[in-house]
Amino acid sequence: MEIDLLDRALLEAHARRDTTELIRLYSLAAEECEAKQDIGAACFFLTQAFVFALESGAEEAFELNQKLADRGRVHRFTSSM
Amino acid sequence: MNKHSVLSSVLSDVNTANGLPNEHYIDPVVFAEEKRSVLFANWSGIGFGKDVPEVGDARPIDFLGMPLLVVRDRDGEIGVFQNTCRHRGMILVDEPKKISGAIRCPYHSWCYDLKGKLRATPHVGGPGQNKHDDVDPNDLGLIRVRSYVWRDVIFVNIDGQAPEFEQAHGHLMARWAEFEQPIFHGGALSSFKLEVKTNWKLAVENFCESYHLPWVHPGLNSYSRLEDHYNIEERDLYSGQGTIVYRQLTDDVGSKMPDFQGLGEKWDQGAEYIAVYPNVLLGVQRDHSFAIVLEPVDQEHTVEHIELYYAAGEQETPEFDELRSLNAQLWKTVFEEDIFVVEGMQKGRHGTLFDGGRFSPVMDGPTHNFHHWVASQVEKGRST
Ligand code: FES
Ligand SMILES: [Fe+2]
Repeated sequence: MEIDLLDRALLEAHARRDTTELIRLYSLAAEECEAKQDIGAACFFLTQAFVFALESGAEEAFELNQKLADRGRVHRFTSSM
Repeated sequence: MNKHSVLSSVLSDVNTANGLPNEHYIDPVVFAEEKRSVLFANWSGIGFGKDVPEVGDARPIDFLGMPLLVVRDRDGEIGVFQNTCRHRGMILVDEPKKISGAIRCPYHSWCYDLKGKLRATPHVGGPGQNKHDDVDPNDLGLIRVRSYVWRDVIFVNIDGQAPEFEQAHGHLMARWAEFEQPIFHGGALSSFKLEVKTNWKLAVENFCESYHLPWVHPGLNSYSRLEDHYNIEERDLYSGQGTIVYRQLTDDVGSKMPDFQGLGEKWDQGAEYIAVYPNVLLGVQRDHSFAIVLEPVDQEHTVEHIELYYAAGEQETPEFDELRSLNAQLWKTVFEEDIFVVEGMQKGRHGTLFDGGRFSPVMDGPTHNFHHWVASQVEKGRST
């Protein structure tokens, strides 16, 4: 997805408070940054996805936490909530 | 110093005592003092378990300006927290909601689980860096407020210094041990709220006594006469009144609501109405009970939150809908009949020449017992 398209989709998802979509789009943004070796930006987006997953109790929360933990970016969960 | 001598007359025997002085009803400074020494230093009621029935239900409650958050966690337990984020102090939850995962602060999105543990601190170490050596999540969970749920009332001890609830109220819990069994809220009609222009203590005082029944509740008194009532007073603990002629409601075909299980004979026609100091009023009868939480708004305003409970659930026993609604109507009438009294006493307290009043040595023991307790708490606060 192109960056400004993604940006717009994210803004819309924020406006709708559509958590599932926020998790999906932030994860997607992270992947795109990772593909470009931009790990800093990828971790920023992973964090956003992680927080919304955590808030909504989505199962992705655990996996996102592990990904961030692998990069030393977060305290590792030993179990999901 | 002057205040000490004024309270000593409250602390003397009911026969000669005065009631609490006016300042305890109309002075914002004394209201603030009572907030600290009476309401925050003891086990105060703030709400009801039935308002957070399911896992993840979260309900903010403002108690005397203190922002609290009541949460039902994944073990089904009710927890009460200070509703303030450990980061920059943002209010965490501003309206009742269901937390499906974590409590996320709306400001910088620090996240807490339902037990208050801090689970995420996004970007705390810079963008995409969610931890920092100097920020230990174990030190930064939500501040838990001591709480205890009894008869569906959520009690809190804000200052954390009171004895354990079961110690503080053990005497009453033992007295009513037979009622220690499941109770079921009667549904929407069994829930009402009265906003009253009175100091919270006047609502307690009026509830404790039966002296006013023949005058204020003539309907009630036609089947429940003054001489069928007795005083309940336990020094430093609680007070109220009991009746020996409680009559169950019946509908047109003579059916009655089911009884609580295994009650002794005393309760065939007995009922008791007790003020659990400071601000909770409870009633028990063979077939229903009620709980009132008095929410002190300021020295002249109180909200009475009234809830009725039964021995069987509303969903399971639709055949009793009519009796439940009749019962709710009866109680509502009684509580509404009391409004002019508590509001009138509040107005009377602006009479600067009033000395706090004198008690009937025979009829007013329960009220005096409450005044004695409040005065003791205030004195305790003044001495520390
Ligand atoms: S104030 Fe709550 S996260 Fe900053
Ligand atoms: Fe009354």
